[in-house]
Amino acid sequence: MDFKDLPDEELWLQMQDDLYDGLKDEVVEETKEALARGYSPTEVLAKGLVAGMDIVGVDFRDGVLFVPEVLMAANAMKAGMEILRPLLTQTGAPRIGTMVIGTVKGDIHDIGKNLVSMMMEGAGFEVINLGVNNDADKFVAAVKEHNADILGMSALLTTTMPYMKVVIQALKDEGLRDKVFVMVGGAPVSEAFAEEIEADAYGRDAATAVDIAKRYMAWKNAQRAAT
Amino acid sequence: MTTTPTTERRARRERDARRRQRGFTFVDAIKPLVNTLPLTEVLSPEGVDKIHRASMRLLKEIGVLIVDYPRAAETFRRHGAIVEERSDGQLVKIDEDTLLHFVRQAPASFVQRARNPAKDVPIGGRHTVFAPVYGPPFVLDLDRGRRQATIEDFRNFVRLTYMSEHLHHDGGTLCEPNDVDVKERHLDMLLAHITLSDKAFMGSVTHKENARDTVMMAEIVFGAEAIRERPAVLSLINASSPLRFDDRMFGALEVYAQAKQALLITPFLIAGAMSPVSMAATLAQQNAEALFGICYAQMLNPGTPCIYGSFLANIDLKSGAPCFGTPEGNLALYAGAQMARHYNLPYRSGGNFTASRIPDAQAGYESASTFVTTVQAGVNFVLHAAGWLEGGLIAGYEKFVLDLEMCGMMAKFVQGIGLDEEDFAWDAYAEVGPGSHFLGSQHTMRHYETAFYQHGVFNMDNYEKWESEGAEDAYKRANAVWKRMLQEYQPPVLDEGVKEALLEFAEKRRAEIRAGRLARE
Ligand code: B12
Repeated sequence: MDFKDLPDEELWLQMQDDLYDGLKDEVVEETKEALARGYSPTEVLAKGLVAGMDIVGVDFRDGVLFVPEVLMAANAMKAGMEILRPLLTQTGAPRIGTMVIGTVKGDIHDIGKNLVSMMMEGAGFEVINLGVNNDADKFVAAVKEHNADILGMSALLTTTMPYMKVVIQALKDEGLRDKVFVMVGGAPVSEAFAEEIEADAYGRDAATAVDIAKRYMAWKNAQRAAT
Repeated sequence: MTTTPTTERRARRERDARRRQRGFTFVDAIKPLVNTLPLTEVLSPEGVDKIHRASMRLLKEIGVLIVDYPRAAETFRRHGAIVEERSDGQLVKIDEDTLLHFVRQAPASFVQRARNPAKDVPIGGRHTVFAPVYGPPFVLDLDRGRRQATIEDFRNFVRLTYMSEHLHHDGGTLCEPNDVDVKERHLDMLLAHITLSDKAFMGSVTHKENARDTVMMAEIVFGAEAIRERPAVLSLINASSPLRFDDRMFGALEVYAQAKQALLITPFLIAGAMSPVSMAATLAQQNAEALFGICYAQMLNPGTPCIYGSFLANIDLKSGAPCFGTPEGNLALYAGAQMARHYNLPYRSGGNFTASRIPDAQAGYESASTFVTTVQAGVNFVLHAAGWLEGGLIAGYEKFVLDLEMCGMMAKFVQGIGLDEEDFAWDAYAEVGPGSHFLGSQHTMRHYETAFYQHGVFNMDNYEKWESEGAEDAYKRANAVWKRMLQEYQPPVLDEGVKEALLEFAEKRRAEIRAGRLARE
């Protein structure tokens, strides 16, 4: 099918459907087509990609979609974002956000962290996934290098959870603590623990992580606009 | 009728003891199950061979990664394996002949010492041994809900295990004592096992040093020679699947193997994440990982007792969460048992598994579904036989008690059907004849106490009685049972000298650990 002949309204719907179906190449072409028709990057993002991923998010939450399907959708989103991101920066659109995420030192559990990473990418965030077994230096360096808005740390062991506090201290030592929003998660982690180590938020699952991240970015962008 | 005059009234037939026995009782010896039934098998001999060959291919062509423990790779290389350097460790590729040469040196069965010799644990053959849940960071009870586990919870679970006739082994990390510093936790856990119970226990694997401490404490209790003759510690060595072992696990394995203590080598597979979604691949991978670990132990010290372990579930492909009691998991549980028997090794798998957060109907069904499978597969060592909830995140007090009921029922089940003359009850028919009932027959009188499994927590009351007594569900009743068990708990005897030596050792190590930390800070 050639979507070039589709009316605009249909094009948006097609993009959303193709995202849902994880059709990366199609989503890339449709993104380009929408831009070519004169829509702003912000519009393409909102009407096509984000609208599509919202549906994916709901169906993932409700147990309609399988993880591999969401992964395909998130990859398609990521591909579309690669085209839009530089344009968004150029036009001075509100930042969607950059997240550095990793599992802390001594811990190699990453299934949950990768789900969070996948959903964040699905929501348009730029995600730098540091993998597992990360020490404070690695987290700090990545936050600096990518000028991250959000730092996500995952721990699945009660023995590695306390290390999150070490990382937060390292951020303080580097004068970065106020610049980055720290989100923590993993099965043994709790709201109370997050508070205790002075993290900014606890995310009980991937969907919640995305919600919190979006709310934080909205706040941050508003702050930025105000100053 | 003549009566002998007496000044003393006859005591009621052990009324107090009997009233106490409702729920679960303490017994001063263990009776591990001896499974007399035909075992359930799901693989044909050709199937077993296919899995075997696939796993040999994995070991030879794909290899196993050793992370941060080059000396283990070196041991493999010395014994003829091919070792490739990678940025994240050493990849070890081993051929069938070399591998099986070592695997064959592991004994087919062994006996683990307990502090009370009447509780020594036979592992292998037709024996099935039950041990409680291992590892959860949280506990749950009806009164206080879900919360971080503490050392007092840990001690409670040791006490409950000691009090449970249906558990034959103390297990290890019954829950994670979060309120004790990570670096010295193992000391408190070992002290609890040794002083609050007299059943066999598991060692610490969180660090090589901790494994050393475990061996030293076992030496204090049993004697250095005695534990080398027959092991006093059994320790859980997990693969960090897929196809990977790390320094912590292989470090601890090395310490225990050198002291000839028993090892439970367990691949950790949630199919879909740590292995492919197909059970054939998952079983081949499990086989490869288990044999690889066992092979390493034998290279270090031939004859070290090893259990072929399996922790195998599958992921929920819609959320990423682990599932338990699934049809696929149960098939694999049976097949794993066949593989272990194929190599003449004791087998560990199963338990009262559930993904449910509370002891509800889901927990009951999932647990029963895995547990019956566990027993029918002929599993020799059953970790997580009591207390498991939320995919291993919670040790549940009430769940523990409810699971004991399953353990008790299975103990009776594996005895099979007696077919002796007495079992056909001819005298009862002669006495009662057609059309009456057998409740008062002599045959019933001879056997009523043991004829049927006696429930400890399940309830058979009629509706009105049940209602008038508070209409309690199983969850509620279990709550009363564990509380009573804790109330009646009396610690086992422990030689004062041994106890002092243990405490002294623990204090010395605690001081060293703290000093070490200060030095580093
Ligand atoms: C799978 C698993 C493993 C796999 C991990 C494979 C992998 N690639 O990740 C393997 C086999 C490698 C493994 C190893 C070990 N494991 Co493990 N493992 C598990 C298990 C069964 C499931 C974890 C999981 O993936 N869950 C599914 C995902 C989707 O859920 P999740 O991780 O919780 O993530 C969700 C949320 O928490 C949240 N989230 C997660 N991260 C983040 C981060 C941010 C920023 C946010 C906002 C949100 C968020 O969103 C996610 C999606 O919804 C748990 C038990 C359990 N039921 O949780 C034990 C468990 C965590 N493991 C445990 C243990 C003990 C170990 C080992 C030490 C075992 C051993 N002796 O070797 C090793 C440790 C290795 C190491 N150094 O890390 C214990 C921990 C106990 C404790 N006291 O802390 C558990 C609880 C099991 C048990 N009862 O013993 N394990």
